[in-house]
Amino acid sequence: MVQANAATEPVMKTAKKNSKLVKVLKDWDLYFMLVPGLIFLLIFKYTPMYGLIIAFMDFNIFRGVAGSEWVGLKHFENLFINGQFVNVLTNTILISLYKLIFLFPAPIIVAILMNEILNMVFKRTVQSIIYLPHFISWVIISGLFINLLSLNGIVNSALGWLGLEKITFFMEQSMFRSILVFTDGWKEVGWGTIVYLAAITSIDPQQYEAATIDGANKFRQIWHITLPGMAPVIVLMLILRLGNVLEAGTEQILVMYNPVVYEVGDVIGTFVYRIGLGTGDYSFTTAVGLFESVVGFILIVTGNHICKKYLGRSIW
Amino acid sequence: MSVSPYKKSLSEKIFIRFIYLFFIVYGLVALFPFLNVIAKSLSSEGAVIAGLVTIYPIGFQTGTYQYVLSNPLFVNSFKVTIFITAVGTFLSLLMTVLAAYPLSKPDLVGRKPILLVYIFTMLFSGGLIPSYILMRELGLVNNIWVLILPGMISVFNMLIVKNFFEGLPEGLEESAKIDGASNITVLFRIALPLSKPVLATIGLFYAVALWNSYFGAMVYITDPSLKPLQLYLKELIASTKDTMLVAGEVDLSRDLNTTADSVQAAAIITATVPILIVYPFLQKYFVKGAFVGSVKG
Repeated sequence: MVQANAATEPVMKTAKKNSKLVKVLKDWDLYFMLVPGLIFLLIFKYTPMYGLIIAFMDFNIFRGVAGSEWVGLKHFENLFINGQFVNVLTNTILISLYKLIFLFPAPIIVAILMNEILNMVFKRTVQSIIYLPHFISWVIISGLFINLLSLNGIVNSALGWLGLEKITFFMEQSMFRSILVFTDGWKEVGWGTIVYLAAITSIDPQQYEAATIDGANKFRQIWHITLPGMAPVIVLMLILRLGNVLEAGTEQILVMYNPVVYEVGDVIGTFVYRIGLGTGDYSFTTAVGLFESVVGFILIVTGNHICKKYLGRSIW
Repeated sequence: MSVSPYKKSLSEKIFIRFIYLFFIVYGLVALFPFLNVIAKSLSSEGAVIAGLVTIYPIGFQTGTYQYVLSNPLFVNSFKVTIFITAVGTFLSLLMTVLAAYPLSKPDLVGRKPILLVYIFTMLFSGGLIPSYILMRELGLVNNIWVLILPGMISVFNMLIVKNFFEGLPEGLEESAKIDGASNITVLFRIALPLSKPVLATIGLFYAVALWNSYFGAMVYITDPSLKPLQLYLKELIASTKDTMLVAGEVDLSRDLNTTADSVQAAAIITATVPILIVYPFLQKYFVKGAFVGSVKG
């Protein structure tokens, strides 16, 4: 019996392998379709990952990867000695945290409120208007808000009419982060409601009917039915958001900041762009970028693991 | 006896009023920056300098638009953007469909590992500097294709299309294959015609992303004739920003920079019009929620 098993097993394995091969050959064109995508990934996604090794070198762009000298963890040790990086990391975390605190709950609340609107024409109109900013580029948005907040802008005119002093908004260190949070909210909160509105729609309406019969008012229904019904989506979105905690909005900040507010507005992404490409300090800034990527990766994988374990849901 | 004994309490009525008020205010806040910039682009210099313009033009003029549309740099960057949006959207759709279709077949050999290879790129990346060095080596610096090729496949969009393909009725494809059709024929003759809604959605998302992108151009393009619209605008805004913000009170430069202010407003509006044109179509599709909940692989 045992012997027979041992004898048939390799045969079965090769048979299985053969059937796989037959399948691949039969549907060769299906596998052929995979090729362009995989080449794309190899060149534009995985080659830069290989390029991360220059974080462990003193990379010289003229000598290339092969000709540059290995320096081990030198650049990573420098990270936390470099006062500029520590400041940049602090800015990144603070701006991210402000955005998380103010802008993560916002679309949840807006979606709950929106769900209470029964007038469909009003609802559609509001949706059309508040989704629109999502499709506008950061370049345009910076233009719109610089236009509003400049010294000739309407906000300063209004301050003048009220007898208040004019404010150079984009030049004030104390204002800059608030401007970032506000404009990010202006762009994305409306759009962010979509996923939560979908979550609310999937809640069984019978629950609301039962609650109404039991005499629960609107507020209790929101608290005991709507919010718990949205909870899995909220957790999912939170994990996705946490994975991005070191991406404080590079494309937004690049079009809004200026040297006067570097001290409070310079984040990892803008730092890597300005210092890396500006001064050609490729190895150090690659180390900074690698730090960002690794932290983001750990956060999202851990978050997903926790989500899987306790909620039985997974992002991938 | 009344069937529905439930009556709205006073606090609930107030709550509903509050909600309508909230959304009216929100809608105005969302629209105001656009209205203000439109009004400025159509107002006279004097009114703009004095900061009088709110949401309607004062001293109506259209000279700013004539100036923008006759500016060769603006027109050229507009053309660059139209090219990358048109070609990029087509290539992206093609690449995305080719990747998504085989991966939608549950019995594809190696399906799981290949999916993982895709998803990993969403979680981890080489970052800016290694990408820059790569593009240099590939000769893509100051090359218009650098604005198209590195972003051809959005993994997120690919997963949406894959999920859509998985939901297509199997029978149609089976019968075609029995008739001797190849997988490629099945994809282009049967699967794609059934996938028009999702292709339209994804295509519009690619198009908007290409239209709006400036970062790649800022990193890889220095040749003025290859600069896309958003980069041109970014530089225009940056050049006027400093004078507007710092020297707003200085009389000498005042006249000059406020003129620039209106011209900039006109350029912003002109660059946004195409987005506003496709917006109703975008909305038609995304309201269907084609992509909600399709993150799961």
